Formats: sequence, structure tokens, C-alpha cells
Amino acid sequence: MKQEDFIATILPSKDKLYRLAKRLLVSSDEAEDAVQEVFLKLWKGKHKIKEYKNPEAFAMTMTKNYCLDRLKSRQASNLKIVHSNYPTTGNLQKQVEANDGVSLVFKIMETLPEKQKIVLQLRDVEQFEYYEIAEILESNETAVRVALSRARKAVREELLKQYNYGVS
Amino acid sequence: MELAKVKKLLDNYFEGKTTLQEEKALQSYFTSDFVSPEVKAYKPLFKGFADAAQETSNLKVNLPTAKKRSFKAWYSVAAILLVTLTLGGIYFSQPTLSKEEQEALAAYQKAQDAMYLLSHSLNKGTQNLTYINKFEEGAENLAIINQFTKTKNKILK
Repeated sequence: MKQEDFIATILPSKDKLYRLAKRLLVSSDEAEDAVQEVFLKLWKGKHKIKEYKNPEAFAMTMTKNYCLDRLKSRQASNLKIVHSNYPTTGNLQKQVEANDGVSLVFKIMETLPEKQKIVLQLRDVEQFEYYEIAEILESNETAVRVALSRARKAVREELLKQYNYGVS
Repeated sequence: MELAKVKKLLDNYFEGKTTLQEEKALQSYFTSDFVSPEVKAYKPLFKGFADAAQETSNLKVNLPTAKKRSFKAWYSVAAILLVTLTLGGIYFSQPTLSKEEQEALAAYQKAQDAMYLLSHSLNKGTQNLTYINKFEEGAENLAIINQFTKTKNKILK
């Protein structure tokens, strides 16, 4: 597989991989490192890419695994990393700051367990089908729906708490 | 969308029972300007997801270029070629003879040996010729003796 073909296959997924990595690692620098790493791994095994039915799902799985590994080693080394995302990547940051309700949703999402974060990201942000999410998570559709329902309800609970607090 | 329908979809949404299409309908309802106050609390949720999907990365992906790789591969190919060529050159520069040539050479060798043997025996023959010379000398001496006997015979007469 030539580099152009490889890029044509994988590059359209770049931002999706990045957003998933950022959802998990929070830091945009680390998320970019993760994407770079996943691309390198895919490039090294490029001759196998065609064997996968869904290269994007495969890349997503790799990204997810890479990020979870990073989080584990972070915990193992017992480092408390403080994330300071300077508004380098532009408008979104400003939008989020301008809209308190939206930034609250992101803050709530940060407190969710990893699996729920991933499911929410894949379904509500990236709009993958249930079977695709199951493929990415190496799980089944029922488990995906259950995790998704829990994640949505957890966000709802926090959101309504804050909302009612703000209203009253 | 009617409020009742929105509420129904919301219920299904939280149970994980909505289709992508239904979720898109919810998203477009909540990102519109006409959201019923009754469900307004959910506005930031769908707005947030919609915003999050817009985020992009400026990352320039660095792949080790194929050119570099093939260059390195070509180095080893060149090295192997060089070694085989030199070894081959050394090997083939040694005279290697075809079967015919080898036979010819053997024949030549045999012929040479035979000639040598011949000349050697010829030399032996010439050596023997010296004896003939001696014989001639002897014969001359014999002639002198003959003369001597002739004169002796004359005297005796």
C-alpha cells in the first residue's frame, strides 16, 4: 500500500481519533501524540489494513487501547497531571467558555468512567451505529446500549442538579 | 417537533433505544431557537455534543516516508551486489576451461611428453655415436698395425 492510499484510507478518521483521544486524555497535546502513535502503528502494519472490514473502527480501537494504556501508566506512576489547555485550537474553547451549560456538560463527561466516556463520545458525538461501537469496543450491541444508557443518565442527573440549582 | 414527541424521544434516548435518525432529530430540535422551556435543561447536552463534533486537530501526521525506506533497502541491495560481483569476478577471472579445452590441453601435454621422450632417446643415440668414433680410431690404429705387419712381412722375406 502506497503512502497516498494509506493516507486516503486513514486520514479522514484523523479528527475522530483525535476527539476520542482528547475525550480520554483531556490534554490536546497528549491526544495528538496518541493519534500520531496510532498512525505510525497502522503505517507499520499497512499491508494488513485491507484485511480489516472497517479500517476506521480498527483505528478507533487502537486509539482507545492506546489511551487506556496511557491512563493506566499514568495511574501506576501515581502522577497527578494538571491539564491546562491553553486555547490554542481556537474557536471551540471560546464557545465553550461563552456557554456555561455546554462546558458543564463536558465537565460532567470528564467525571464518567472511561467506558461510559467512550460510548458517549462514539454515539452522541461521532454518531456511530451500535454495531460499529460494539466492533470498536470489542463488545456486543446490548452491552453498548446498557453502557450508553447509564452514561446518558449519569450526565442527565448532574446536569439537572446544576440546572435546578441555577434556576432556584 | 411537538413537545410530546420530543419527550417520548428523550425517554427512549436515555434508555439507549433511539436510532441515529431519532437522535439527529433531537439534536436539531435542541440546537434550534425554539426549545420548549419544559425541556430546556437538555439544551446544553445536545449543543455540547454538536460542538464537540466540530473540534479538529491541526496535527500534521509524520509518516516515515516510503522513499527513505526504499533507499535503505537499496543500500543493502547495492552492498550484496558489490560483494557477489567482486567474489564472482575473482572466481571467473581464474582460467576455467571447457571440456574440449581441457581435453586439448591433456593431448598437448601428452604430445609434449612423447616429444620429450623421443628427444631424450635421440640424445642417448647420439651419445652412442661417440663409441663409433672410438671404433673408427681403433680401425685407424688397426690400419697402422696392418702396415706394420706388411713391413714386418717384407723384412721376413
